Amino acid sequence: MDRPITFREELRIAGRIASIRLRGQMAYRASFLLQIFSNFLINTAEILALFAMFYRFDTMGGWTLSEVALLHGISMVAFSIGDMLTIGMDNVAPQIRSGEFDRVLTRPLSSWMNAATSEFNLRHLGQLVQGVIILGFALSRVDIAWSIDKALVLALAMISGIALFMALFTVEAIFSFWTVNGVEAINAFTYGGSDLVQFPLHIYGRTLRFLFLYVIPAGFITYYPALYLLDKPDPLGMPDWFVLLGTPITVLFCLVTAWGWNQGIRHYRSTGS
Amino acid sequence: MRMYYELAKRSFQQQFAYRAATLAGLFTNSVFGVLLSSVYLALFWDQPANASVGGFTAAQTVTYTWIGQALIMPVIFWGWFLITNTIRDGTVVMDMLKPMDFFLYWYSRDLGRGAAQIITRAIPTLTIGSILFDLVWPESWQRWAAFLISVPFAITVSFCLRFMFNLWGFWMLDHRGISSLIIVMTGVFSGHLLPVSWYPPWAQNLINVLPFRSMLMTPVELWLGQVSIAQGLGMQVFWSLVMIGCCYVLLHYAERKVVVQGG
Repeated sequence: MDRPITFREELRIAGRIASIRLRGQMAYRASFLLQIFSNFLINTAEILALFAMFYRFDTMGGWTLSEVALLHGISMVAFSIGDMLTIGMDNVAPQIRSGEFDRVLTRPLSSWMNAATSEFNLRHLGQLVQGVIILGFALSRVDIAWSIDKALVLALAMISGIALFMALFTVEAIFSFWTVNGVEAINAFTYGGSDLVQFPLHIYGRTLRFLFLYVIPAGFITYYPALYLLDKPDPLGMPDWFVLLGTPITVLFCLVTAWGWNQGIRHYRSTGS
Repeated sequence: MRMYYELAKRSFQQQFAYRAATLAGLFTNSVFGVLLSSVYLALFWDQPANASVGGFTAAQTVTYTWIGQALIMPVIFWGWFLITNTIRDGTVVMDMLKPMDFFLYWYSRDLGRGAAQIITRAIPTLTIGSILFDLVWPESWQRWAAFLISVPFAITVSFCLRFMFNLWGFWMLDHRGISSLIIVMTGVFSGHLLPVSWYPPWAQNLINVLPFRSMLMTPVELWLGQVSIAQGLGMQVFWSLVMIGCCYVLLHYAERKVVVQGG
């Protein structure tokens, strides 16, 4: 190719790759449906736990079931979409070990896009469906005085959330450029992070709050938007404009991740034979 | 017997090789321990001081959380497909041909693994929990002893469950559906997801007649003094024996199903 391809072309090609991979899976229909069903089942437990907790208790940190469900909905939708779009990142560590990552690098897309599209499946479709249901449940039960800025805050929270989880899954892959040991610890931030922000942030101690606001800005994509939607004062006493911080901080987080990815690629030395 | 002891010892020693993975795992367990403790404590905010919900005070709930995190690796509540994998690649036939009992071959290795992970995972996790939160400790040395005895039985019941759904692979090559069903059932029925006494009465009645609660809830109750030692350990012994019996029955039928694939 004589000229570098544009970002738009890249997206189009990535979309085609994804649809081909998907069609491949659809060929085994029973297996495909079973996988979605399994995922749906496993996440059912999470929702079951939420409802069972409120069977015994009326509030959590002063919040009602519907209010906590709002946090669950935002987090689950963002997490499942983010995970689906970057599922290929799970393969980076094994690919580096086996030397197959070379092949990923020689394809005409950018290295990140190649790694992300090295696999695509709808494993997390089940979770997305549940996220949408629980979000619907929450929105129908809580009393929100809807306005344009509230709708905008919710939409931005979703989009930033998806981007943030995509970046987090990338971080896990970035570490594997340097070490193959102990990368699982990052799970505490991806899976742990998505679980953590499903509950109101003020119930956590200072360290966790700090970590999930200023290091990994997951708190900005559920907690502050939810406070704004529900017209709740911030028990942590942060100023009103905090709700606006989610998107710029996520952009910053993504930029740092992109920089880290490029460093990782430069550091990469093939293990090939 | 000597052979099974050696097998257990090998797999015990093997566990100490993965140092980085152990540290990473401890970190993850601890983060989830703090997370869940915070969530449970927040449920008690609007309760009167020292309130007990379903027999659990706030401090007891936090203790339950950390025991749960500590036992994740020794007892194993989630996916475990080691036998399924050997059915898939055919090595199961080699294992069955070995001059030893197929069940005891896996069981002894699993006990060795569990014993190692009590040292590398359970004790450190509980130590971290006790530094970060006020845990409730067993009231007497008898309770301590009862808890320590209950853990091998918890591993036994868990192993039998895993053994049985792994043997499922003889009948069905795609195990994903059944295994996620088992994972959810184990999470809910063992009490790992929530203390069993927090569920509605009808659900508790169901859970109390199933083997799963021996994996976590019974050890927790023995620790916290919510069940008499005789009753708690008695239930675990009963379920261990029943489950081992079921394993042998299933194994008997599975051995007839063996089909050597490929060649």
